[in-house]
Amino acid sequence: MKRRNFLQYLASSGLLAFVNSEGVQAAFAPSIRYLRPPGSHDEKKFLSKCIRCGKCGETCPNRTIKFFSTENGISSLDTPYIIPREQACILCMKCGEVCPTGAIPKIEYKAEPIMEKVKMGMARVDTNLCLSYQGKTCGVCYRACPLQDVAIKVGRLEQPHVLEKCVGCGLCERSCIQIPQAIRVIPKYQG
Amino acid sequence: MKSFLRHLNKLRWLSLSIVFSMLIILPFIHLYQTYEAAHAYDLLTPTEKTISDTVEALTSPFVKDPDELSAVKGNTWSGTLFGLKLSDPLAVLGQIFASMSFYWAFIVTALIPVVITLLFGRVYCGWICPATFIYELNDNLAAWLRKAGLPVSRRKLDRRIKYIVLVVGLLLSVYFGAVMFGSVYPPAIIGREIYYAIALGGFGAGAVFFLLTLFFDLMVTRRGFCRYVCPGGALYSLLGRYRLFRIKRDVATCNDCAKCNVVCQFGLDPLQDDFGMECNNCSACIAVCPTDALSFTVSTHDVAFQGPGHLGHKYRKAHPDVNTSETSVQ
Ligand code: SF4
Ligand code: SF4
Ligand code: SF4
Ligand code: SF4
Ligand code: SF4
Repeated sequence: MKRRNFLQYLASSGLLAFVNSEGVQAAFAPSIRYLRPPGSHDEKKFLSKCIRCGKCGETCPNRTIKFFSTENGISSLDTPYIIPREQACILCMKCGEVCPTGAIPKIEYKAEPIMEKVKMGMARVDTNLCLSYQGKTCGVCYRACPLQDVAIKVGRLEQPHVLEKCVGCGLCERSCIQIPQAIRVIPKYQG
Repeated sequence: MKSFLRHLNKLRWLSLSIVFSMLIILPFIHLYQTYEAAHAYDLLTPTEKTISDTVEALTSPFVKDPDELSAVKGNTWSGTLFGLKLSDPLAVLGQIFASMSFYWAFIVTALIPVVITLLFGRVYCGWICPATFIYELNDNLAAWLRKAGLPVSRRKLDRRIKYIVLVVGLLLSVYFGAVMFGSVYPPAIIGREIYYAIALGGFGAGAVFFLLTLFFDLMVTRRGFCRYVCPGGALYSLLGRYRLFRIKRDVATCNDCAKCNVVCQFGLDPLQDDFGMECNNCSACIAVCPTDALSFTVSTHDVAFQGPGHLGHKYRKAHPDVNTSETSVQ
């Protein structure tokens, strides 16, 4: 092979490999279950607004916010995300206050605006796993929820029922005593 | 006046050092704030306790509540300084293209940097950019390597490459619907990576990219990334094209020693009155000039080449009748 041909071959196959790589593919189909900080717009709008400054993470008092490397595709590189089982959002609304770009909108730290504007996802109980549905009374998730009886209520044997108003903060998922967790937040972009 | 200008370069290093150390201090302050917010001092590991104690000792004389430390947050890509939000013009431009819309609350945060660049050109590059701090040290390393006999290349590339990078970056931002610059722009990378390393326990992908730019500067050409590739540098060059404050050579006191050309990391040619769009008013050439022939002037253009310096050999040979000794500064 001539040197030039070889270089061309190398460059084009490199490009092809790049376009077909997991990273680029994943840019269009999220592969991990994660949440965006509270109040964030839908994925597309969020990605187009966030400049990846990291201020939201640097402000979060609960160390909830993490940042993507390449695992969620290149358009998600260095954007903030939350894995509720590891650390859930306490709805302090400080990240929105500090975000310069409007990617995380400002929301007043009061119950009504939070309930109205925050929708990170919605919790879902897996009744096959949940202890309360297996004859043991638990109810830990209910007690962890900042919006008790509004977002989640418990019935017989402390069996949790998630309601429409759930904001998806993930504090229930974080606190579930079952392993793996019996209650999970289904992100907005998947639901 | 002249003697003051000579010290500008030291002032510039002070500025660079302050910015860089802030990028290291702020993540520690953030950690301290999270420890305080958790009310769990007893549960901290010994290292965390040390961090908490140190930051508390350093900051408690100035603030009562750790929350007040949030007055300064962020980095040079976008940050808050006592309530004033400031952003890099490149971040704003990138967001406009990625979202195809104007979000004014964000756009205004780049206003002050843009005005400063219109007046002073690429001062961000010389005086603030945290990457400059490392790139200049890297350039010293290159000088040592050169002395030690190792090959350190100084190629000339086309200065317009960086404008292509800027345009391609904007187009990619449109295509992906995401601001793509943050990942290839050294100052943004550095601010973020230092935060990752301190608060999240490890460097990200950006650190690798930044290392590559350091090698590029060593292997290909002096300050090569800033001169030929950086999209921010390209934007600042464009904005600063008609900057009001620029450096000018006084041909009557110049002695053609060429020290200015050697010291200029951006490979410009003060000796030929050629500063152009790349000059970042760093004032290193002013500091090194033995006859104080370089100073600032107010003008929207560089002067055309004024000929060899009047205290130099060439000029004196051509004009043997002129007595230049009274103009020389000792
Ligand atoms: S609302 Fe508060 S706890 Fe939740 S992610 Fe934002 S800063 Fe962190
Ligand atoms: S503060 Fe806003 S712009 Fe900055 S990284 Fe977080 S979401 Fe993105
Ligand atoms: S049910 Fe769970 S996710 Fe929903 S608001 Fe309550 S704690 Fe948050
Ligand atoms: S904490 Fe987990 S196990 Fe307990 S009731 Fe809630 S979901 Fe079920
Ligand atoms: S060209 Fe880019 S990396 Fe270099 S000093 Fe300017 S902003 Fe910083």
